[in-house]
Amino acid sequence: MAILEACLLAKRFGPVTAVEEVSLTVAEGEIAGLLGPNGAGKSTTLHMLLGLVTPDSGSVRLFGLDLDRHRTEVLSQVNFSAGYLGLPGVLQVREVLDAFARLYGLRHPARRVAEVVGLLDIGSLLKRKVIDLSSGQQTRVHLAKALLNEPRLLVLDEPTAALDPDTGDRVRRLLVDLARESGRAMLITSHNMREVERMCDRIHFMSAGRIVASGTAAELAADFEVADLEEVFLKVARQ
Amino acid sequence: MTLDMTTVPETTTVLPPLSAAARRRRISGVVRRDLASLRRSPIRIFEIVFWPTIELVVWGFVTVYLQASKVPFVVSMLLGAVLLWQILHRASNEVAIGFLEDIWSRNLLNMHVTPLTTTEYLSGLIVFSLTKVVFSVAMMGTMAYLLYGFGILTIGVALVPFMGLLLVLGWSLAIVAISCVLRFGEGAQVIAWSLVFVFQPIAGVFYPVSVLPSGLQVVASFVPATHVFQGMRDVLGGAAIPWDRMAAAAALDVVYVALALALYTVTLRHARAKGRLSRFGE
Ligand SMILES: Nc1ncnc2c1ncn2[C@@H]1O[C@H](COP(=O)(O)OP(=O)(O)O)[C@@H](O)[C@H]1O
Ligand SMILES: [Mg+2]
Repeated sequence: MAILEACLLAKRFGPVTAVEEVSLTVAEGEIAGLLGPNGAGKSTTLHMLLGLVTPDSGSVRLFGLDLDRHRTEVLSQVNFSAGYLGLPGVLQVREVLDAFARLYGLRHPARRVAEVVGLLDIGSLLKRKVIDLSSGQQTRVHLAKALLNEPRLLVLDEPTAALDPDTGDRVRRLLVDLARESGRAMLITSHNMREVERMCDRIHFMSAGRIVASGTAAELAADFEVADLEEVFLKVARQ
Repeated sequence: MTLDMTTVPETTTVLPPLSAAARRRRISGVVRRDLASLRRSPIRIFEIVFWPTIELVVWGFVTVYLQASKVPFVVSMLLGAVLLWQILHRASNEVAIGFLEDIWSRNLLNMHVTPLTTTEYLSGLIVFSLTKVVFSVAMMGTMAYLLYGFGILTIGVALVPFMGLLLVLGWSLAIVAISCVLRFGEGAQVIAWSLVFVFQPIAGVFYPVSVLPSGLQVVASFVPATHVFQGMRDVLGGAAIPWDRMAAAAALDVVYVALALALYTVTLRHARAKGRLSRFGE
């Protein structure tokens, strides 16, 4: 069953057409990547899928439910993290996670917090204030928050940009494992082509508000007659 | 519709999203977040002690002066007004601050992708604000008694409806202030702090509205607080609790809350349409 079905989404901001006729499906267990140059409309697309931005036209269905009419049920099973977001900085990490565990209506907040703390290896950060953490540490806290409700769809907007190669690698492995083991679906944007190549089952290239190409990394490279995703990106961006 | 629902299987992790238990859990998330935030920012604790103290001291000495110069005046009315005004003021500011903190910490999108509904979010802010209002009032009440011998409890049982009516008005003003920030951006924060003061002269907090020009008196009669402060003076002057006034204030409160909620709903819809939620803190 499709976890996510977006149909002909469009969004204008005044004179700017941010997204035009974007249709997208993500299946159970699939990790989908959304690539494209700055301003292509990736974040706007993600925000429409999360109900943060209302599309001018088109529809979003998650788990077969209309997002608009079943917001609370749908969002209980979705989570989101983005490089440009903050968390209440004066709070200690454990207070932040406790609050979000409750905001997602978890049955056993404390137990689940302990689990995600283990998954992201942030036990040593629990008593520290979020503002005092390095950006890589903050990213791990953001990801812990994003896993709290065991989301069936995890949406990540440039999530790993602040991580060092080692942590980045471990986080990527973790996300891939989660998708493989639990059938969790993910939709990810990133400017790290190697990361996308390694993680994503299916990649959608956006340019000027449209999806201009979709496929696996290998298929895209073949279609564009280039060696790898990086070169696909350059070709798309410079078209 | 029921068929639709079956496609979201129950999980062991999340409580059934529409259940009362889930709603309570989510509200507790807002409250605990705000309480933690208060505990971690001593400056804010300082603030809730500082302003009530200043106001009480200033107005307390005014009453002492008036008494000394033999102005016929019921001292308790002025101090009662100061205390009740604090309830309105704090109720309005503390709810607004919970929302502003999300903006200051760029946490707004995180909040808006949770399953939290508008009602749950606002309920959480309100429950949290209650803890601070209770704290402020208890502190001021004690000080008024120690410094000036004024016991707020002399207002008697009427104190309960008075406080309740002012709290509800304060919350509705806070929701209006939040809507303004959502609509006009962070620059509108000043509205969050000052909106309540528009009502200070009109509602006859420190004087009967009969001293106002007749046009303003009409306006004042549509402000719930007007009836509360007049009711307080009646009661302290020895009259019975004016239940008709209380009923009028309650009815007006309902209208204010309904309008504030409608405004918030429209503003949120507008913010989503214009993509404004992601524009804060940039
Ligand atoms: N809330 C907004 N208000 C006005 N313009 C916006 C808003 N959000 C995005 N845009 C514009 O829409 C276009 C797409 O932006 P975005 O979706 O953020 O692209 P990407 O994430 O691919 O870099 C850009 O031109 C951007 O300036
Ligand atoms: Mg973006």
